[in-house]
Amino acid sequence: MGADGAAPPTVEVLGPSGPYRTRTEQEITDVTGAVMAGMSQAPKIYVERAMRALHAARPLPDAERAAALSRAAGLFRSATLGGLTAQQYERAVTRVSGLPLGVVRTATRTCAERVAAAYRSVQEARPRGAVSDWRDPLVRTGQALWSRRGEVLAVHVPGNHPGTHGFWPEALALGYRVAVRPSRREPFTAHRLVLALRAAGFPDDHVVLLPCGHDAADAVVRGADLAYGGDEVIRRYADDPGVLSLRPGRSKILLTAGADWRDHVDLVVDSAVRHAGTGCVNVTGVLVEGDPAPLAGAVAERLAALPSLPPLDEKACLPVQSVKSARALERYVLDRARGTRAWLGGTGFVDELGDGSAVLRPAVHQLASADAPQLGAEVPFPCVWIAPWSRADGVAPLRDTLVLTAVTEDEELVDALVAEPTISNLYLGGRATHWHRAGLPHDGYLGEFLMRSKTTVRA
Amino acid sequence: MVRTEPSILDLPHDARPDPDELVRAAMAWHFAPETGSPFWLRRAATLDFDPLADVKGYDDLTLFPNVANELRDVPAADLVPRGYGPRPDLVGVFESGGTTGAPKRVVCPADWLEKLVAWSNANLDVHGFPRGADWLGITPSGPHIVGEIFRRSALTHGRHGFTVDLDPRWVKRLIADGRGAQADAYAEHVVDQAAHILRTQPVGVLTVTPPLLERIARRDDLVELVNEKVRAIRWGGTQMDADTAELYRTEIFPGTTLYGHYGSTMILGIAGQRYGTPAGEPCVFDTFSPYITFQVVDPRTRRPVAYGERGQVVMHHVSKALLLPNNLERDTAVRVPAPEGAAGDSAAGIAPVERFDDEVVIEGVY
Repeated sequence: MGADGAAPPTVEVLGPSGPYRTRTEQEITDVTGAVMAGMSQAPKIYVERAMRALHAARPLPDAERAAALSRAAGLFRSATLGGLTAQQYERAVTRVSGLPLGVVRTATRTCAERVAAAYRSVQEARPRGAVSDWRDPLVRTGQALWSRRGEVLAVHVPGNHPGTHGFWPEALALGYRVAVRPSRREPFTAHRLVLALRAAGFPDDHVVLLPCGHDAADAVVRGADLAYGGDEVIRRYADDPGVLSLRPGRSKILLTAGADWRDHVDLVVDSAVRHAGTGCVNVTGVLVEGDPAPLAGAVAERLAALPSLPPLDEKACLPVQSVKSARALERYVLDRARGTRAWLGGTGFVDELGDGSAVLRPAVHQLASADAPQLGAEVPFPCVWIAPWSRADGVAPLRDTLVLTAVTEDEELVDALVAEPTISNLYLGGRATHWHRAGLPHDGYLGEFLMRSKTTVRA
Repeated sequence: MVRTEPSILDLPHDARPDPDELVRAAMAWHFAPETGSPFWLRRAATLDFDPLADVKGYDDLTLFPNVANELRDVPAADLVPRGYGPRPDLVGVFESGGTTGAPKRVVCPADWLEKLVAWSNANLDVHGFPRGADWLGITPSGPHIVGEIFRRSALTHGRHGFTVDLDPRWVKRLIADGRGAQADAYAEHVVDQAAHILRTQPVGVLTVTPPLLERIARRDDLVELVNEKVRAIRWGGTQMDADTAELYRTEIFPGTTLYGHYGSTMILGIAGQRYGTPAGEPCVFDTFSPYITFQVVDPRTRRPVAYGERGQVVMHHVSKALLLPNNLERDTAVRVPAPEGAAGDSAAGIAPVERFDDEVVIEGVY
């Protein structure tokens, strides 16, 4: 590593009675294939005991939870945790995730902001009719009380972007005890956040980090009341009502006839490349009322100009992966793109850096119709599918969308988009798909999943 | 050819015959028309070497093809060496797990099991198992040999043997069919039965599989009972990693001896955990050499890997009871030098053969 970064130490298990280092370790490699760190692997029997310890612990009082979250945010942003300064942590994340350093720095800030706002944000999910404390005077005459659906939450968030860790601390705000299974690809953010939460006042048996293999990962889910995340373990439980599964975003932009495409090239480009195009909030499909070719050409021209740089370069803006996984992704996308008109990346988009890693350069394809299946083909780099859209196509091509930006003056259409249950978030006008603010739902409020209202009355 | 004096095949368990002499005696026994099994006498005709002339010692066992697959269909009666006479003293017919297709069958004569259990009992003494204890075995009664080994061990090393039956093939099928909840319920049913015995009987030794030991460890009342009564736990059937073993030793069952065995019905026996391996290190399994031996090899070349390297386990069984050399098992292990004077290798860190998956793309950024 560079002068400012000693090699990160082993990512240990952070168990209910302190750190625990196992003999069996998993290697954490960076995008060039170099081993960066070892990660302990908690045995199943350890995981089961840890989950029982979380159940046995009682939540801190509300005020202490709020204060601890606020402190944790500051520590996460700037403290030395687990032997790593914030800068060393950011470099470590950059090396293993292949995200540009600048993207990782922004993610650190965003994640800290979300944690700082967690106690407040989660209140936004509380129904207006519900109070949060049975001691509230309103309970005397009968009131809805907002209460937990369980006591222990399992978190298996993916390693695609450190920002995914910004939401689960809301569960701690609500009094849940939380077990986090870090991603094998990028465990440093989960590790740092749990360390920050503990240093800020959450006891060891309130929030644990359980790096483990598949078998034990099942025990994390089974040992919890509810589970949240998006890794291969969660996918297996996706139909379980106690499991909230992060789904592909398939975010989209719709430009109707009234919108001049020339005014929205920036919007499409920004929505595609912010966060290096690796997020579920990055645009995947663009629908244009009229001929999509001019927009596709303009977007391709802009995206083609982005430089291929290693992730630690200050000017890097595109994601980097190991050559092996980059090539696998390339084969997949080229196969998926058959029958489309390629504006960029049609013969390949992998730019090898010569050190075992490769830049995933942007790709732009034009589809023949709005119902082309590629419109929702989300992949972790700037890859945009642009299709024509007409009133006759209606809402159907816009379904299953995390964020839809609709540039339109057609209120009837907006009514239909609002009513469409599979569109999670709707941005009207030229708002980039990655726009967000703490306190707003990401895919519904996490609080809607974690809490319920129960009638409470004191005679 | 003159028959070799067969007495080397009849030595007591602690005699430690010379491996080369044993192999030569076994060839003479298994390939003589009066003493060999119908299976081997028939099979000898299609071998591309002469076992009597060409197998001069232990190293020549690798000349044999792996005939394990043929044991799926051969009539069991054809496996009994004729030398045992018209009314052989047999313990029974036993089957492999059936994980890799139809089960394979072997026949176990009584003299062999007696010798094996005597060897195993001596091992238990080294590890500090109390003599004369009551045993509880949560282990299949059949068709695998482990149930028989349990019963004989309990009766000869201990006093009474209590058993809870277990059908691993059904559990594997439930899991393969995605019926995890049923597999779970079955396992709990097994543990419930064991709990009753643990509560009411003075169980001093527990024989159990690692997954069921995990389930016992999940119940606080059972952990307490084990800690109160059980002096030694013998585990086998699947593997236990060093981290898990360390947790049992230090946190869950401190004060209880933990001893592993690694066996296979296809060797008519077990290998036992080496005594004195440092805590936290993976346990090393030593075989009942020279009758049961392992070689840890590169599966492509069949040559031994270097000590400390991982390879695939080849098992040989050479005794009066059975000749089953050169059986490539589906387990991998780290090759460890065998104890002084023992043939073949010892094995550590047993794990199933890994599948090498190609890079798979799943759509979505997660």
